[in-house]
Amino acid sequence: MAIEQKYSYNVEQKGLGGTDRVRRFLQAFSAILRHGNYHLALDTYSKLSAKCARCAASCQLYQATGAPEDIPCHRSELLLRVYRRYFTQSGILRARLFGGFTLTDEYIDEMAESFYRCTACRRCKATCPVGIDHALVTHLGRWILAEIDLIPRALLVSVREQLEGDTGNTSAIPVPALKDTVEFLEEELEDIYNVNITFPFDVEGAEFVFFPAVSDYLMEADTLMGNAAVMHVTDGSWTIGTGNYDGINYGLFYSDRMMERIVKNVVEEANRLGADKILVGECGHATRSAWYVPAFCGPDAPEVVNCLEYAYEQLKAGNIPLKKDLIKERVTYHDPCNIARAGKIVDQPREILKAICENYVEMTPSGTENYCCGGGGGTVSIDEIRKFRTGPLGKRKADQIRATGAEIVVSPCANCKKQLGELCQDNGMEDVEIKGVHDLLLEVIDFGVDAESEKEEEQQEEVAAG
Amino acid sequence: MDVWLKWAMGPLFWTAFVFMVLGLLRHLGLTIWEAIKTYRRAGDKNIPTKQVMSSTVRWLIPVDRLKNRWLYSITTFLFHIGVILVPIFLAGHIALWRQGVGISWPALPNSVATALTWVVIVTSLAVVVQRVWAKDSRVLSRFQDYALPLLIAIPFVTGFMVMHPAWNPFSRDPVLLVHALSADLLIFLVPLTKLSHMILMPFTQLVSELSWHFPPDAGSRVGATLDKENEPI
Repeated sequence: MAIEQKYSYNVEQKGLGGTDRVRRFLQAFSAILRHGNYHLALDTYSKLSAKCARCAASCQLYQATGAPEDIPCHRSELLLRVYRRYFTQSGILRARLFGGFTLTDEYIDEMAESFYRCTACRRCKATCPVGIDHALVTHLGRWILAEIDLIPRALLVSVREQLEGDTGNTSAIPVPALKDTVEFLEEELEDIYNVNITFPFDVEGAEFVFFPAVSDYLMEADTLMGNAAVMHVTDGSWTIGTGNYDGINYGLFYSDRMMERIVKNVVEEANRLGADKILVGECGHATRSAWYVPAFCGPDAPEVVNCLEYAYEQLKAGNIPLKKDLIKERVTYHDPCNIARAGKIVDQPREILKAICENYVEMTPSGTENYCCGGGGGTVSIDEIRKFRTGPLGKRKADQIRATGAEIVVSPCANCKKQLGELCQDNGMEDVEIKGVHDLLLEVIDFGVDAESEKEEEQQEEVAAG
Repeated sequence: MDVWLKWAMGPLFWTAFVFMVLGLLRHLGLTIWEAIKTYRRAGDKNIPTKQVMSSTVRWLIPVDRLKNRWLYSITTFLFHIGVILVPIFLAGHIALWRQGVGISWPALPNSVATALTWVVIVTSLAVVVQRVWAKDSRVLSRFQDYALPLLIAIPFVTGFMVMHPAWNPFSRDPVLLVHALSADLLIFLVPLTKLSHMILMPFTQLVSELSWHFPPDAGSRVGATLDKENEPI
């Protein structure tokens, strides 16, 4: 299958744009090598890369396209070649004596195309016998490209709004609109579940400050109501900060420089409210970027807890009462790569689901060896490439979902949910529902006597009025 | 011929050997030095040591990792066993060390060494054939990826011929000379090619882990260096 050119229509030309890109690329590469921690990896990888192609067997994109350009080792070699030629003594000497490889505009375009075809799922890392982390090389390559303004527009626009816009979040939701939404969610909780739950704002000294993917306020009402319900029944001390309520960090996908600024803003808000902990909502990349809090803000910065870790601990401790009627549909779980690949959040959501679903099935493979949804690495935000995402990138995942026969696919990640929804639509599985873990938890939490008596009171009132 | 043999097994071997040891020590030193620098610059110094050590050991002895590309994996696994054991533990080689510098260690029985030599000869050729056969590895392969396994096969084929005269259609000394010269060349190439993985392999998992531990202000510093601090996003 031929490579589809896609980066060209999602890159914004600004500033110097397309001028003098080779010199600027090398300048940026040099600055990043000087200040970052990538030098050791590039030096080691470029010495011992064995080109064995074992990574090819693990890459879902290459399995679907069969294009040599999609082999992870080939992708890494693109950047390692530049490193060897321009940043090692032997490479510089060899070029003086024999000529050979020179960085060109076309080569930069090839890298841009290649680095954004990868979902940075890191599955290939586990199969490389010499331990090369191809996703690390892609991560670095994207940062260098970003410094010469080669950035997918969808990511750039979001980060611009988050760091420089009036609203300070990627979905451009102003505080009044946020409060309206939350009010609506509170009403929904009362109407449907007869329970009075408030989403607290700006509570100083709360234990947790809540950072979901801000898009959840627009698209994932059930997840957020589930989050609030869990905090309610467990008497959790939590708050939403009106200074910053967005856990999304697209810096992780294209620039450590942006990622650092976004992480520092999150910590600043937690510190403003005097909170001990940052509670991240159901979002894979938001969680992984929040795990960089100690990297950017030191060991004394607030601790990062994912809402699944919290819910699991509380469920285990018996603090989440469950109804007798559990979820009856066939449910499967998709692991978001950003929380599962390193083995950090694999068992917790499964334990929750097994406790609340009568018919839970696993995908194969899953956990640390899962396949990406096909929208990782920020690619899900790029609407122009939907066909590519739900085609070759997501083929493996679509096959996996179909094989489980599940009616509900659960994934605790805003990006995965969007991609999985589109994937099912485009692959003839329109009936499959995509949900979060907290959506299901909300359905089975037993809110107890209060809710029951409230329900009865309401019924009595209705009878009296009737 | 005698003079040539003495030269190949004497000064030339020692030159190559010292070059290899120094080259590998340089790789080792630079890697450790860079790893310390990387660690000291890292904002989050909490390294998951247990996980890194476990994946390092599992890749050094990858018996449970052979499923992926299983034929190629098993071929290269067997290849490595022979390539590591025979040159170091062959009785004839140990005798040379004893004569030369007076040190020795237990040897493999010659029958085992012979069997392992066959394993290396067969698997080194199989590695090349499989590399060409599978599109995945064919498109990635460089000259050294084909040349090194073939070059490695030469001292094993010639060594076998020297040890088993019945299989050797040529006279002993020229074959022994080819054996020594090809081995010297290989030893010389170790630090210059991907063969350097023999010293770097135990560090790669740590290297990858460390590289994700970013310095706290790397982004800001890069911005300042590129004069982008006040540039709008």
